[in-house]
Amino acid sequence: MGFAIGLLVVLAAACVGASFVTQGQSAAWYEQVYGAGAARLILGTGLDDAFHSWWFLTLTAFLCGNLLLCNLTRLKPLIARTRREADPAAALAGPCDRSAEGVADPLPLFERLRLPKPKACESEGRRALFSGKNRLGLWGPWVCHLGILLLILGFTLGQLTHREWTVYGVPGDTKPIGDTGYFLTIDDFEVQLREDDTVSQYVAGVTVFRDPQGSTTVPDSLSATVSVNHPARLYGFKVYQNSTGYAARVSVDEAGTPLQTQVVCAGEGIEIADAPGLRVFLNAFYPDFYLEPGVGPRTRSGRMDNPAYLYSITYRDQMVGMNYWQEAEDPITVNDYSIVFSEPQSYTLLQVKADRFQGLALLGGLVTMLGLLLAFYLLPVRAWAVEQADGTWTVFGQSRKGGALFREAFDRAVKGE
Amino acid sequence: MTMPLENLLFYGVLGLYFGAMLLYFLFVAVKKETIGRVALWVQVLGLVLHTAAIVLRGVAAGRLPLTNQYEFASAFSWGLCLVSLIFVLRFKFTLLGAFAAPVIFLIIGYAAMQSKEIHELMPALQSNWLGFHVSTAIIAYGAFGVSFVLGIIFLLRERMKGSGFLDQHIPSREKLDMLSYRSVSLGLLFLTLTIVTGAIWAERAWGSYWSWDPKETWSLVTWLVYAVYLHLRIRRGWQGKSAAVFAVVGFVCVIFTYIGVNTLLPGVHSYK
Ligand code: HEM
Repeated sequence: MGFAIGLLVVLAAACVGASFVTQGQSAAWYEQVYGAGAARLILGTGLDDAFHSWWFLTLTAFLCGNLLLCNLTRLKPLIARTRREADPAAALAGPCDRSAEGVADPLPLFERLRLPKPKACESEGRRALFSGKNRLGLWGPWVCHLGILLLILGFTLGQLTHREWTVYGVPGDTKPIGDTGYFLTIDDFEVQLREDDTVSQYVAGVTVFRDPQGSTTVPDSLSATVSVNHPARLYGFKVYQNSTGYAARVSVDEAGTPLQTQVVCAGEGIEIADAPGLRVFLNAFYPDFYLEPGVGPRTRSGRMDNPAYLYSITYRDQMVGMNYWQEAEDPITVNDYSIVFSEPQSYTLLQVKADRFQGLALLGGLVTMLGLLLAFYLLPVRAWAVEQADGTWTVFGQSRKGGALFREAFDRAVKGE
Repeated sequence: MTMPLENLLFYGVLGLYFGAMLLYFLFVAVKKETIGRVALWVQVLGLVLHTAAIVLRGVAAGRLPLTNQYEFASAFSWGLCLVSLIFVLRFKFTLLGAFAAPVIFLIIGYAAMQSKEIHELMPALQSNWLGFHVSTAIIAYGAFGVSFVLGIIFLLRERMKGSGFLDQHIPSREKLDMLSYRSVSLGLLFLTLTIVTGAIWAERAWGSYWSWDPKETWSLVTWLVYAVYLHLRIRRGWQGKSAAVFAVVGFVCVIFTYIGVNTLLPGVHSYK
């Protein structure tokens, strides 16, 4: 037990240490923020990714080993104790926490201790009564430790095997879910606003289907609506509405004739079909645009009041130009090409996840809670009474975990309270 | 949007908790039972009005009023007041009320310094799981607050010379330890529920049920500290004083998880 306590203290200390260091940054970032010496220490000890570091995993492994051993070695004694707890002979031969002599009628005392109706038994030839409750409570710590093991197991297996993808786009887009052979179509997407312009919800309609492999038949598919806090499970994938941003259609004309058109998300660009190396990017979109002096483009609200597009043009990765553009203006021209943006819309960023062990972790959490409930709220209590030669009874009470509170309750019961 | 009536009630409650605290101090100073009883009932009245204020705000906002610093701090002091009153009444331990009163007042004082505006919720916060998560946290924090106060009383008792008044009003070491164990048990059960419901909510809102965000990490630290407390208690010879120290340290972790993490460490829980 001493080792277990030490382990829990060290684990807590490790978590405290890790919480003070921002996790998962680059070496340069740590050098800039903490200085060269501290950065070397952080990177050398793995404090930059503390919860996956060898020392943290070792501590967790020790914790699991300890819990497992503890539960295995305690199983047989625990079964024996549970049996003994209900055995009048064992109780009569063992110690008690409190007793009362000269009780005329012991039955009301059992009742006041909220014990079940006592069973008649015998002690050295005398009449005796025995009752006990909450034996199951003995299993509390064991169940709690089992729950912690399941939880850590579920979490670890999940970390090792889960897969995660990001899919983003505008309604109508179909994108592969990684290399799984499944595809996701964004059927629709809506940013719901309240009257005060704050966002009340992001709602996306999605369809997931298997790779049709060139077949002309409509593939099996499953559809669902997802929004923040309401993910959907489709074919073992869980789809979460995660984030959003702006997208718009970019159209390119060459000498007056349409050349190409495509919807791009902010941050993305297209390469002009006729001019390899020449690219147009939509950097950002401002629905309710204004120019803040000294700061740059801004948006007042999420409403489409005075939209503007911030774009850039590069040639062979060299910046050619960057500016903002509004639909009332003339097209942007580069060589023979004229470029316009239109159809501003929101794109959705969906997170797609597959973690088969999430349920195990949840089960672990629930079992841990059940164990705590048993350990704390089913306190085993026993009482027995032995008839004396003068016809009165001596009553004994025992509760290993009840302590002073049980003794008080016993005394109150004796006094008839 | 703010609510004038709720505001009025809130400051009334603040006044009542302050008054109860002063009365409790007076009770200890002049050792008059009646004053202790009046302090207790002033606190009960404060709790009743506090409940009304919280309900009123909930009705006005159309949701559980447990989503920003003000609302949570107010609910935290409510939870501590509730759990401490339950212990005071159930175990006839008026002095516990006297020790809890300053902590309750400090927390509601912290609430008074926060913005009382009622805001619409961002989508991630619109979840029933969040409601469970925060409600269970309030009970857990309230129970841990009581074990903190009991720990302090335990440690002070060791230093105080016995006087008739104190002997009469402070239970035996063993009973104090037992009461502390009862409140830590309640707290740990509810903290576990808080963590589980929080994980379920995080999974639904962000797609990941545990991401070692500082608030999560600190709730785990708190959980571990109370686990240490439990194991210390069942070791022979470690009951009492060392357990009391851990009950105090545990609540320091609770407060750090609640305030320190939001102000000192970055993470998804610090909604501004
Ligand atoms: C290294 C890991 C651990 C070991 C070896 C360990 C071992 C033990 C042992 C031997 C007991 C006494 C059982 C009995 O009296 O029947 C116990 C009790 C208990 N343990 Fe653990 N434990 C560990 C971690 C934890 C953790 C992380 C928790 C989380 C809360 C926990 C919760 C409990 C509870 C609730 C009890 C019952 C205490 C009481 O009823 O007063 N244990 N543990």
